[in-house]
Amino acid sequence: MPDMEHLLGVPLTRRTALGGTAALTASGLISESDPAVAAPLRKPVGTRLAIRTTVNGKAVPVEIDVRTSLLDLLREQLHLTGAKKGCDHGQCGACTVHVDGQRVASCLTLAAKVDGRAVTTIEGLADGETLHPMQQAFIDHDALQCGYCTPGQIMAAVACVREGNATSKDRIREYMSGNICRCGAYVGIVAAIEQVAGRGKA
Amino acid sequence: MTAPFPNRPRADAREKVMGAARYGADHQVAGLLYAMQVPATIAKGRIASLSVNAAMQVPGVIRVLTSTDFLPPPPAAPGAPPPPATLTTDIAYRGQPVALVVAETLEAAIEGAEAIRPTYTVAPAFTSLIEQPGMVREAVKSVTAGDATRAMARAVTRHKADYVSPPQHHNPIEMLSTTAVWENGQLTIFESTQSSSNTKGAVMRSMRLTPEQVTVKSPQIGGGFGQRGGAQRQTALVARAAMLLGRPVKLVLPRGQIFHNATFRPKNRHRIEIGADASGKMIAVRYDADQQQSREGQFPPDYHESVPMLYGIENYHGTAANLRIDTQAPGYMRSPTPHPSCFAFESAVDELALKLGVDPVAFRLRHRATTDPIHGHKLSSCYLSECLTEGARRFGWERRSLQPGSMTLPDGTQVGWGVASGAYPGSAHPNIVTLRVNADGTTRFAAAGHEMGQGIRSTIEQVLVRELAIDPLKLEIAIGDTSVAPQHTTAGSWGTASVVPAAAEAAANLNAAMAELLAGRQVAGNLHRQLATVRRPSLQVKVEHVAVDQGPKDLATLRKGGMALVGPDYSTFTTYSYIAHFVEVHVEPGTRRVRVPRVVSIADCGRVISPRTAESQVRGGVIWGIGAALREATEVDPRYGGWLNNDLADYVVPVNADIGSIDVGFIDRPDPLINALGAKGLGEVAMTGCAGAIANAIHHATGKRLREMPFRIEDLL
Amino acid sequence: MRPFTYARPKSAVAAVRAFTAAGAGARYIAGGTSLYDLMKLDIEKPQHLIDVTAIRGLDAIETGGERLRFEALAPMSAVATDKVVLSDYPVLAEALWKAASQQLRNMATVGGNLLQRTRCLYFRNGAGGTSVGNTYPCNKREPGSGCAAIGGLDRGQAVLGQSSSCTAVSPGDWPVALVALDAYVEVLGASGSRAIPIAELYRLPGSTPNLEFTLQPGEMITAIVVPKTKAGRHSTYHKIRDRESYAFALASAAVALEMDGDTVTRARIALGGVATKPWRATTAEALLAGKPLTPATALAAGHAAFADAKAGKQNGFKIDLGARTVADALTIAAARNRS
Repeated sequence: MPDMEHLLGVPLTRRTALGGTAALTASGLISESDPAVAAPLRKPVGTRLAIRTTVNGKAVPVEIDVRTSLLDLLREQLHLTGAKKGCDHGQCGACTVHVDGQRVASCLTLAAKVDGRAVTTIEGLADGETLHPMQQAFIDHDALQCGYCTPGQIMAAVACVREGNATSKDRIREYMSGNICRCGAYVGIVAAIEQVAGRGKA
Repeated sequence: MTAPFPNRPRADAREKVMGAARYGADHQVAGLLYAMQVPATIAKGRIASLSVNAAMQVPGVIRVLTSTDFLPPPPAAPGAPPPPATLTTDIAYRGQPVALVVAETLEAAIEGAEAIRPTYTVAPAFTSLIEQPGMVREAVKSVTAGDATRAMARAVTRHKADYVSPPQHHNPIEMLSTTAVWENGQLTIFESTQSSSNTKGAVMRSMRLTPEQVTVKSPQIGGGFGQRGGAQRQTALVARAAMLLGRPVKLVLPRGQIFHNATFRPKNRHRIEIGADASGKMIAVRYDADQQQSREGQFPPDYHESVPMLYGIENYHGTAANLRIDTQAPGYMRSPTPHPSCFAFESAVDELALKLGVDPVAFRLRHRATTDPIHGHKLSSCYLSECLTEGARRFGWERRSLQPGSMTLPDGTQVGWGVASGAYPGSAHPNIVTLRVNADGTTRFAAAGHEMGQGIRSTIEQVLVRELAIDPLKLEIAIGDTSVAPQHTTAGSWGTASVVPAAAEAAANLNAAMAELLAGRQVAGNLHRQLATVRRPSLQVKVEHVAVDQGPKDLATLRKGGMALVGPDYSTFTTYSYIAHFVEVHVEPGTRRVRVPRVVSIADCGRVISPRTAESQVRGGVIWGIGAALREATEVDPRYGGWLNNDLADYVVPVNADIGSIDVGFIDRPDPLINALGAKGLGEVAMTGCAGAIANAIHHATGKRLREMPFRIEDLL
Repeated sequence: MRPFTYARPKSAVAAVRAFTAAGAGARYIAGGTSLYDLMKLDIEKPQHLIDVTAIRGLDAIETGGERLRFEALAPMSAVATDKVVLSDYPVLAEALWKAASQQLRNMATVGGNLLQRTRCLYFRNGAGGTSVGNTYPCNKREPGSGCAAIGGLDRGQAVLGQSSSCTAVSPGDWPVALVALDAYVEVLGASGSRAIPIAELYRLPGSTPNLEFTLQPGEMITAIVVPKTKAGRHSTYHKIRDRESYAFALASAAVALEMDGDTVTRARIALGGVATKPWRATTAEALLAGKPLTPATALAAGHAAFADAKAGKQNGFKIDLGARTVADALTIAAARNRS
């Protein structure tokens, strides 16, 4: 490992020599019995469950670890990273998606529960390149700053209008309070929802 | 050169509303492993034993990193703070990582981390509160102008009181995370950081890698507020795991671990005495400040930056001290010291005005700052009086009755109107930018900067679109990436002022280069069209822009990824941004809830580069002021250390229903000296003073003076 | 989080059977907003999850008969927007829509909500899992380990019903409103079904704060039944929090009044956010009976509700705040009587 030594600029110890080697066991530096290194994965992790869900209109058969949240399923297995993790405990709303048309916190939804149900995420909201009116209203009213909570805000906002809870500023504020915006875009968010609700569609 | 800018939509709004913007944990890489930190469950001591066996039994866990997997701390480097510690057996604070579990799935990593229960040798004593024994007080250099003691002696009206701000956590909604990819001797870090340069330097030194081997990418940040200004401890842990295993590794810290490992706003205390002369003008300030500090922490107690710049008071004496206890290191959180110092000072000014029987706006308008009394320089621009006057007009201040408790609604709700000012230092750094216009219709601008919601891409776009005949829809702004331009920390409200002058210079150079290329020929169309016509695929310029007083040395510092800041006290002038907040509060008669239905805030940030994102910035700052004044405090149980309310349910930040109308205005007059566009900073002055206005409004509503934030129901029952 | 088995039976009987078959470590899960949350905190460690949400026909909302009957799986958001509930029982609607957020109310069921566990910071944040890393003694979490909240930061702790073992607040809103209206729950277990008055569903902490409910192992709540009362129209759920929304109560009051003109003939008052279980304020109710509702009598009733309250170090304000919350709730409910 002369190259490694050069790279690290320090004398090699057994531990430090491991850096960057792609095939650890093959290198012979680590034995299979080393308690801190497991053998390569040969069996599936956790209790497995096959589910069939629909995500943004597409049927998705997928095998999950039964512990998986809907949020982690979307982000880590289906690579739909629009829904965000902000707390993982139902305390921020950044993970909001629709299940069968209703807004839910995907971080507190067991992925197992969407078996046979339809999930809509922010990625499924626009019609191709044409933004959903709520997305456009968020741009029009600058109802975002960093944008991290924005997918959750928009999914909640669409539901808020659909539920009939966008009838006044105060009611919008109450029914959008499950989505924390730390940047403080609340004024714009309320204005955006009023714009869409006023048009009578969402 | 510097006419007002038009109101254009946010540059990256479309990708953000589509959920397409990529934040730290959103980058897709093949073969990803998941990591989870094991947090220490003691406040101070040593690991006695740490068995990884239980974790290794968990299916899917492939490795547990402990302290022996890391190189010792690197030798000290001149001018750079040491990188964060990696995994150590010494425990300095509760929640410190003691091991990193890496697994094939996130669920397995969590289960593995939960299976590790080290035993500890607990330190015989630790100090979790500044009020406890074991606190070590360490004074720093005082700040002086004139002779405050003599001036105070001749003052005829004085006010003296203590004000307190609690520990607080930033809580951007994006969690701290790191994704590390080690491939062919190259380490790529995807991490939302306000300082990709700092993160690169720290991980490079921890891992003994060369600058050429490390790239840090932070194209979009889900809120920074200072939390991501420094290198994070987890970055090197994840990088090490990726290097050891030869596979990409991702770690997203749980919110509770972020509370314990990220920096925070330390508790700080302010003893302020103000003296006024017979004419009712403030002539002397004596101000002692101190703050909670960790044993080794370096966050400076700079509580005397903004206050001396507000009213031109000639005699000022300010002291400050660190109070060292056992905690993780505190750090910069939005308007780090100006927010609490302006809360304290602007409360004191209100109390003095009341003592003098003068309207608090009229009282402030008696004092117009033109010079920086500490450094003896002129202020490059200060339109605080204009902010106060315009704010009072919009708010309808003339209808306010002076007497506290004199305004009520029919149901008995007490109404209070309060005002307060804020100031924030104007700094800048150099920028090495590359601007390339292509015949195919695209444009690419690469520079130092990080987008965390403030709208830095919008400010760049404003300048480029105004100065260049290009297609704005095909303008790529590459920032936050150490591979596209030397990066500098984006914080301290210096982002815009450090990039837009460079963008303007690059645009001018590009136009000049185009003119040279065309050599007098008249070619129709925009720059893309012109290039196509003359059969040039592209035209590129590179600009090494330095701020006032800066030169090659600062460019060299920037290239090395260091802090290359100048300001707010420049060689011949001093620059601050200003704001005036006007707040209406309603205090319920029975259960004493405080509502803030209406705020008017007028800011002087020099030339407003992006009106739309600037307004949003100020609204956000006001909401931070409301949060700080009425809601936010992180609680410590001294028997255990650490933080008790370490989640978003119990660390109470404002929600939509807490926020009413926020009317924002700008003076929008360019600063004549700070840079070619006249742009000063905005993001932090936006918050500064707002909490003071709320305190003053509560006093006006109720007659009760609250001097320790946050002001909660029990304070008004 | 530990691995667990997962089953989704299609009927309540099958669910109970599955629970019995699974044995120790089995738990029912409905919306999961509380249980899954606590699993992530390493506090709840079920070995077998029996998901009851696939059970058909257990989410009906029946308001036409002698009683209101809400089947256990009806989402909180659905009951909160039921027309009869909205018009005739504002105390129920408000207790629902002032809880959590709409996202969570769409997930959470009215049955599951009754079994929500405390938000005591020392309980939630002290299990030492990866979410936090704090470790605190907690008799509710680890019987016999002690109570860190006693002598600790107790701003959020109970002032009514606490013991020397536990001061954790019962967190719910919905149960408080149901207690005020003398609701009962129908439960199904291995030995059949039974009804439990809602107030008897909850235990005081005593020396066993780990035992929170009177349900037997394997029993699941199948329905909530509320006797109809004309007081429903003159009712409110008044909730005071550290922010305007999306927060648990510092103090709350469920109030329903039967009135003759301005005179209260019968008052129903229950308290939330201040006690170790949903708390019926019978002394305050008695004090108001036959009296006109004035600001003075309302506040006197509020104080009577807290006559037995005991404060810790920081939560003394809850006694005053709670009294004022009751007074304001009475005033709001009485105004609904006039309108």
